[in-house]
Amino acid sequence: MLAVSSLRSTTFSSKDENQEQMESFRPVGNQDFSELADKNLLESIDFDNLFVDINAGDVLPDLEMDPEILAEFSVSPNCDQPELNTSVSNGKVEDNPRKEEEEKISSGSSWSGLDSSLSTRGEDQVVSKRDESSWVMNPVPHKGDKGRKSSTQTKHNQGKKKVDWTPELHGRFVQAVELLGVDKAVPSRILELMGIDCLTRHNIASHLQKYRSHRKHLLAREAEAVGWSQRRQMYGTAAATVGGDMLPWQVPTIGFPPVTLMQHPFRPLHVWGHPSMDQSPIHIWPKHLTPSPSPPPPQSHSWAPLPRNPSYWHQHHRVPSGLTPGTPCLPQSLPATRFATPPVPVIPSHATYKVDPADIGAPTSGQSGHHHPTFDFHPSKESIDAAIGDALSKPWQPLPLKLKAPSLDSVLVELQRRGVTKIPPTAC
Amino acid sequence: MADSSASYIHMVHRLIEECIVFNMSKEECMEALAKHANIKPVVTSTVWKELEKENKQFFDAYRARREQKADSEMETRECLQKIISDSSKLGIKE
Repeated sequence: MLAVSSLRSTTFSSKDENQEQMESFRPVGNQDFSELADKNLLESIDFDNLFVDINAGDVLPDLEMDPEILAEFSVSPNCDQPELNTSVSNGKVEDNPRKEEEEKISSGSSWSGLDSSLSTRGEDQVVSKRDESSWVMNPVPHKGDKGRKSSTQTKHNQGKKKVDWTPELHGRFVQAVELLGVDKAVPSRILELMGIDCLTRHNIASHLQKYRSHRKHLLAREAEAVGWSQRRQMYGTAAATVGGDMLPWQVPTIGFPPVTLMQHPFRPLHVWGHPSMDQSPIHIWPKHLTPSPSPPPPQSHSWAPLPRNPSYWHQHHRVPSGLTPGTPCLPQSLPATRFATPPVPVIPSHATYKVDPADIGAPTSGQSGHHHPTFDFHPSKESIDAAIGDALSKPWQPLPLKLKAPSLDSVLVELQRRGVTKIPPTAC
Repeated sequence: MADSSASYIHMVHRLIEECIVFNMSKEECMEALAKHANIKPVVTSTVWKELEKENKQFFDAYRARREQKADSEMETRECLQKIISDSSKLGIKE
């Protein structure tokens, strides 16, 4: 299963290079490399003695092996397995006597451990070593402890170690991406911005991919939410009997296709990295949210915030979107609460109340001049509502940014200081 | 009960994070949470502040990012307005 085994079959592309590499050992060890030409080079190397005089104290601190990693890659005593790490180590030796590393390696670090350790030192070096090193295949020296190096389970990925995306790490990633611009964020630049050695471009690239798909999902939800909110408009205004235009829609509320109404008003916000949740039929708002808006609830599901399905009632309402679920005083007044504009590159045109489900051109009514192409800067109310609703209904989901949570005590103390004693509040 | 408080705070925390994903300011967040989730602005504000304390670096960068965007957005808007006014001027002339 090991890629390693495939490496076995690779031959040294250039023996000379190998020789050179070996020769660099010369000053250090007492190996005779002259015979390297014809046989398996590494077999003739006695790694144990190579850096015998290395001062162990020179060992780089960041070479520390995570015992888990070691355990994970059980060491096979099979010394015939090509030695990946030695390949790298050899390559490294080529440049500078990374003797400490060698010693570390020889003390039995696993491949992936080496990966991590090397990458901590700077992935570039590692990657470059891997790339340039034709020395991909090194037979494991037939020493007991060397056997440990042959970590059979090592995956010989070019610098790809499993990255643990901690909240902090992710936060920095997000920062970097935001700084560059989601679409323009290039892994290499992100890497620079993050300034973390442990990460390879590959890690970043795959993480970025996930992040982007997550954002797309958000966008999709928002689009849906916009359409949905249009319907809400109709719904709400119909209830409030505001404007003659709305009247025709009063009736349709009854005709609200129950199906759409009840279908998971909030499509699960796909938190990337986690499988998309199944769309359960009903999302119950947490208790502290008001139940359904009061508008004529012909449906039996009175709690239902209006569905976010693409608006069926488009084109007619002139009222800017403003209603959201859970708003207690919904129907009476169309709150001119405009949160922000939808994520459409619409030039500030005040009159376009075009609500087309296909195009997220929500009305602007001139209130806000922000027309941002993405929802980055001024998200629409609907999308926010969608996201918030989702967060509320699925509190078990992991935090999107994974910021470090404040201590409960300090929060409570602070709240009390400001006069809030009951949490969650019993009164709205 | 401490449990429900904890979970409530956690939820507010989560919601705030969502708002941050949307690049909202603290005020916007307070407003949004109050509207959409019936969370008192004071609560939102408190949790936000606490989060800020715990994640100072992140919030600093966040703030800088927002300012940056605000500036560029301002420029864009001004530019657009100029274009519009220019074009409207042309219309008038004709």
